[in-house]
Amino acid sequence: MIGNIQIFTLLKTRMQWHQQRQTILAENIANANTANYQARDLAEPDFKAILARQSSGQASGGALKITNGMHIQAGTENNGFGASAEATSWEVTPSGNSVVLEDQMLKLAENQLDYQTITALYNKSIKLMKLAVGK
Amino acid sequence: MNILKAIAIAATGLRAQSSRMRVISENIANAESTASTPGGNPYTRKISTFRQEYDKTIGANVVSVGRILQDKTEYEMKYDPTHPGADANGYIKLANVNALVEMADMREAQRSYEANLNVITSTRNMMSRTIDILRG
Repeated sequence: MIGNIQIFTLLKTRMQWHQQRQTILAENIANANTANYQARDLAEPDFKAILARQSSGQASGGALKITNGMHIQAGTENNGFGASAEATSWEVTPSGNSVVLEDQMLKLAENQLDYQTITALYNKSIKLMKLAVGK
Repeated sequence: MNILKAIAIAATGLRAQSSRMRVISENIANAESTASTPGGNPYTRKISTFRQEYDKTIGANVVSVGRILQDKTEYEMKYDPTHPGADANGYIKLANVNALVEMADMREAQRSYEANLNVITSTRNMMSRTIDILRG
């Protein structure tokens, strides 16, 4: 199926990463005035590792294989992307809050634009597949 | 769905900021409120606090309004012996509200509110892009 084609798996992972980052950024902005809140961000996805996993036949995103109907799917929610505190913050307020709204807005715009690029790429890839099957 | 979480989180931010705005407007409205009994205390400025909270249904750190505290700043005294709230020496206590501080606070609340609205707009844009894939 379409999920087995490498480009789609990569794009899907990237889209999940952007969605996860959007959630983290929303958390930061919602807590922009909370005392002692430290801004967090998501590390870039490691595509080298994802590709290596894929070529060795493992499921993408590091998800556990289900070999029995009684098994519970583990770790599907965050897809293995870990959020960590921002390494460098522009400033920390006297109340201990390290969220800089301007910085977060910048990241939000960046995230949105990148996501649009990825969805456009996904669309193009689908068109490419349609061309290949002659539709 | 993961992306809907972002909207839910931003909504808690909106709620927190508007509750803060309510406290600020209470302060400004009562800036001139004094006691009506001799030697009584006037209006005391209120401060809203926020705290970070893990919401299990959303699965993320949302913001919630903490306790609304009282400002411990001393009341300013004014000599006005004819006032019904004046003490034995003819002084009345004025509310410890500083209009300038309230204005600055209001601006900050407004800015944070707008930032949360921005998150919702941006997330909605992302969602519509996802739906656009279906359209082809």
